[in-house]
Parts: sequence; structure tokens; C-alpha cells
Amino acid sequence: MDYPEGNQALAKLRATFPDSIIEVKEFRRDITVTIKKEALLSIMQFLRDDEELRFNYLASISGVDYLKIEGVENRFAVVYHLYSFKNNCRLAIKAFVTEGSLDIDSVYPLWKTADWQEREIYDLFGITFKGHPALKRVFLPEDYEGHPLRKDYSLEGRGERSRFDYEEG
Amino acid sequence: MADEIKEIPTERMVINFGPSHPATHGVFRNILELDGERILDAEVEIGFLHSGFEKLGEHRTYNQFIPIADRMNYLSPLNNDVGYVLTVEKLFGIEVPPRCQYIRVIMCELNRIADHLVSIGMHAVDIGAMTVFLYAYKQREIIYDILEFVTGSRMNNCYPRVGGLVTDVPEGFEEKVKDFADHFLPTVDDIERLLTRNRIWVDRNKGIGAISAEEAISWGLSGPILRAAGVERDIRKDEPYSSYDHFDFEIPVGTRGDCYDRYLVRMEEMCQSTRIIQQAIANLPGGEVNVDDPKIILPPKERVYHTIEGLIHHFKLIMEEHGFQPPKGEIYLATEAPNGELGFFIISDGTNKPYRIHVRAPSFINYSVFPQLVRGHMISDAVAIISSLNIIAGELDR
Amino acid sequence: MGLESRLGDNILTTIADKFINWGRKNSLWPLTFGTACCGIELMSSIASRYDISRFGAEVIRFSPRQADLLVVAGRIVIKMGPVLKKIYDQMLEPKWVMALGACATSGGVFDTYGVIQGIDQFIPVDVYVPGCPPRPEDILNGLLKLQKKIERDTVLPQER
Repeated sequence: MDYPEGNQALAKLRATFPDSIIEVKEFRRDITVTIKKEALLSIMQFLRDDEELRFNYLASISGVDYLKIEGVENRFAVVYHLYSFKNNCRLAIKAFVTEGSLDIDSVYPLWKTADWQEREIYDLFGITFKGHPALKRVFLPEDYEGHPLRKDYSLEGRGERSRFDYEEG
Repeated sequence: MADEIKEIPTERMVINFGPSHPATHGVFRNILELDGERILDAEVEIGFLHSGFEKLGEHRTYNQFIPIADRMNYLSPLNNDVGYVLTVEKLFGIEVPPRCQYIRVIMCELNRIADHLVSIGMHAVDIGAMTVFLYAYKQREIIYDILEFVTGSRMNNCYPRVGGLVTDVPEGFEEKVKDFADHFLPTVDDIERLLTRNRIWVDRNKGIGAISAEEAISWGLSGPILRAAGVERDIRKDEPYSSYDHFDFEIPVGTRGDCYDRYLVRMEEMCQSTRIIQQAIANLPGGEVNVDDPKIILPPKERVYHTIEGLIHHFKLIMEEHGFQPPKGEIYLATEAPNGELGFFIISDGTNKPYRIHVRAPSFINYSVFPQLVRGHMISDAVAIISSLNIIAGELDR
Repeated sequence: MGLESRLGDNILTTIADKFINWGRKNSLWPLTFGTACCGIELMSSIASRYDISRFGAEVIRFSPRQADLLVVAGRIVIKMGPVLKKIYDQMLEPKWVMALGACATSGGVFDTYGVIQGIDQFIPVDVYVPGCPPRPEDILNGLLKLQKKIERDTVLPQER
């Protein structure tokens, strides 16, 4: 959360990838950079490997469904929270995913922690990750239908919790 | 005869290790492929406790999510609460008074000690040492007594609120905590005498499940596992929150990254937590515990009963469909839970309910490295590795 | 149950009832099916302060063939339901089930897509212990109530 280092990362990103940055937001001293999803892997590789920036820790990946917020064009987004051990600063990268093409590159080749976190987003939102080694559901049973964390899925579910057709043990 | 035995053909066996198993603490399923007793490959299946916390958070107001956040890491509920409440306070851009910060630090450190006690206790029970479990639980009961004295319940306390705490600590709190902190270290010595140089303990833990620092960073590990691998990382020191920078404590760092180092790191962390508690209790500031903003936190009862503004503020915060409304924005804050980096990513759309809460659960991320750690070891080592990772199923599956 | 049921309802069967029930209720062997927070309070009630061993139930067995009391402590989700049913079916008669905590009783705080709203929807429950989590004293109270229920059992064939 150190401001000068965050600004340095931002300046380098703007210099190296001028066309891929859509928006930069700063809120409570945290910086979120919205990028085009096609440039995701190259930007992430640059952030991880650059000698001065060294964002080598992927803290968290979150999926968001912007259905009920007005003013947002695309429905889904994936937010990556990075941390740099060298500079002790954080950065958030957001990439939007449209409902028509629900896929995005997987960052598993860069950080192994993306394995399960991307599976979680696939399970709960339905976004697929290209290049993921084994993309399948992680929390819900394999034959579950639907993606619960989407805004058009009700909290109580669609009746799976009252179905008791278990086999006799 | 010996030559004939060597030529007996063996087959690979795939067995199920969980979800209902005495040695796995919590419900998760490991599928192990064995050649005799040696593990060739492992796969993990989780989701046996997936209750939909994040979806539930979207249908509850901000303060109503606090009891739900409790139930994630149920061995140290107050750490979850404080992490969540700090994130919402960052969203508002407010800071709570110093007395509240110190009390939160004391509660978090008490919970950290409790969590590590259970972790070491259950690790020992798995290896076969039952006495350590009983010693650890005896101290845990004393911590539970203090928590019950302050918050009213032993577990799942739900004590912090956005903007402060439910109530100030009662009289007698400082003596109780000081008494506990002064008499806790002999128990750590007892456990150390039983385990640290015990031949069986060392043989079963040294060299088992080792991971290097680069691999640990790539897998996103955090907490005692990352520190045991040699990376000096503790959010309380690097990105201090809730006045942790006022206290003087050290971070234990290991060298080999195996189960034995993780055990040593946890033991030392308990001693350091005791240091923090003693410093906090000695310098506990006076004053208010709640932020002086009636739009965020409930006003004191005298104002509610005697002034009209107090009543209106109380009404506006409590009644259905009311409650405070933070500004719009997206925020992420990480705190150092006993298991590692506990992060909350909250999106607010300006209404009284959060739009999206995503929890960066340390157990979930830490457990993903298990197949790699266990390859090549024996099946009894798998038990030691699972216990040393300290997987809490509530946090794993949310 | 052959010979006892032919004796009919007289003093010999009531003495046999008393003796068998006394033996059963004072040596319940629990299968602690602890999934979540209630499992921790269950462990506390087994530890030294609240000692469940006073009531004869300290022999924790994780194998369903060796236990007679299934203590379901914690929330049961849709993925875990079949596992619980399998374990319950594998237990041998006589067996009892204790639903520990609000989540096992009725779903608790979690009215969501994942959590089964009460285990009594697919296995029969003998004792419900409410609380979130229940204190160890409540757990022991539940055990005592179960013991009282076992006292009323009989060797004669009866309509269930």
C-alpha cells in the first residue's frame, strides 16, 4: 500500500502497454488497473518478471458478477491482487469478461496458486480459463447444474438441498 | 527366500483417505495412489463443507455478516471478525480509537495462541502423543474463560462491530489477561520437553513435506508454512494494522520448510504472541472504544433513551432495510490470521448490503500444495503433513 | 431376540430390560462425525475439564462397525449427505443418533443452496442439542437425556 511504489508500477505499465489499459482507479490508496483480457498474460508476465517491480506473489483471484450494478458494460470480471515482496506494495488488475465469450487466459503458467482459485471461479461463476491443467468444479458435486454465485441464482438454490436420492449403504 | 520375496509382483493401489477419517481434521477427501506404502500420486477433493458464505454475505447487512465470518475459521473466530471489520472500516475511511485497537490486538493474539494450541495438539495426537492434546486443551479452556468473560460466549464470539466493539471490556479483564500471559509459558516449555527433542517426533517430522521458498511463493502459501520455508513475511510487520507497529515482537523463520520447522515456528509464535499481549495489557489506553459517528455505530444507550437524535440514529441503524451505507468502491485488505494471509475483497454499491464479498482463505490456498508435498513419502507421512498444514475445513470450503 | 420375547411381559423381562439398558446407556461408544465448529466443542467436552468419560462415553471410535452413537456435529452439505447416510447404514443395531448444534438440527444460520436443512430429513434422530455451538455442559445434558431414553427401551418386540 505504499503510494510511491504503486505509482512507479503504474508508470511502467502505462509506458509498456499503452493500448491495453482501459481505466485506472485509485481508492483509499489502493490502485486498480482495468486491462483488456487479451493482454492479460503478457501484462502479468511483465509485472512478475520486471527487475524493479517483481510482483511475484499472487495473493488472490476473485470473480465478480456486475449484473446488478448500473453503468458497467460487461457482466463478469476477474480481479487479480498482486503483492511484491521486494517493494512491499500491492496492485489490483481487473479484466472484464463478456457474457458472450466467457473465457480468459489462465495464469497458472506464472503462479501455481492459480490452479484452485481459477477452479473456484469456474465452479461458482462459469468462467472458463484457457490453458488451465484440469478445469473442473472444486466445491460442488460434479453433476451440479448452475453457477451459484451469479446474481440470477437464488440463495436457497434450486432444490438440490432437498433431494435425498442416496443409494442404500 | 529373500530373493523370492523381491520378485513377488505388486500392484498399484488407489485408496480413499477421507472424508470421514480420524486423522484428517475436517472433511476433505484425499485419493492416494500407493505402491506398497509409498505414495506415488495424490489428488484432493474438497467441498464437503461448502455452505455458501459468500452468497449469504450478499443477502445480509454489513454487521449481520460478522457472525457468519466467525464460522469460517472456527478455532480463532475473532481474527476473522477483526479482518472483516477492518476491511469495512477501510471502505469508510475511518479509524477506530486506540483503546479499541489495543483490545482487538489482545483478542486476536489470544485467538492465535488458541489456534496454535489446537494445531500442535492435533498434530501430536496424529503422531500418537495424547498428553500434549490434554495440556493444550487445559490452556485453551483458560482462554475460553477470558473470552466468555468479555464477550459472553466461548466460541463464535462476534465481538467487534464496524466502528468499534459491542461493548467495552468489563472490570477485571486486565487482571485475568495478565494472569494468563504470566503463567502460559511453562505450558509451552512442557510441550517442548515432550516433543522437540523426542526421537519419535523428530523422525516423523524432520525432512517430511519440505518445500522451498520459491515454490512456496509460487503456490501462494502464507503464514507459518511460508515462514518455515525461509521467507520472512508477516503482515503484522510489513503492512501493520490496528496499531501492531506499537509492539515489539519477532517473527520466527525456519530453514528447511518441513513439518518439524512448521511445528517450531508455531511454538515460537505462541511465545511472541504472549509478549504482545503483555505489552498491550501494560499500556492499555483509556478512552472510548467506538468511533464517534452515530451513522456507523450504535450510540450509547443513555443517548438513545434521553435524546431524540440518539433514538433516531439507533432506529436508522437497527431497523430492517436500514443500516449504514458505505461509499461505493472496491477494497481489499489482508490481515495475518493464524493460518496465513486472510484477505477480504468487498465491493460496495452504496446500499446497506455488500454487493460482493470474496474471502481469500489461507487454508484453501495452503492445501492446494498437498499433492506435491506428499509425493514420494509413506502413507503415515501423509498424516503428519496434513496436520502440519493446519487445514480448517470451514475456511477451506466456505 | 429369541427367548426374551417369548417370556412375555412379566418380571423376568423387566429385569432383563433394566440390566440390558443399564449396560447400554453407560457405555455408549460415540462416532464423532464432526464437520465444523460444533466438532470443536465436542472435543472440548472430551478433554479434561468437561470429561465425557464420567458418563462412559470416552471410547471414540471412527469406524461405524464399532460405534453405537452417531454424533453429527456441524453442518451437513449436499456433498456430505450421501457419506453420512452410508455411515449411518453401516452401523449395527442398536444405534442412536444425536444431532449436535443448530446446523445439524435444522440448517442453522445457513439457509443457502448448499446446506441440508436438518439431518432428520434422511436419518432418524434421537436427541437434538440446540446451540451455536452448544456449550459442553449442553452436550453432556443431551447425552444424559439420551440415557434416559435408552432406559425406556425394552427387549420385547414393539412397533417402531
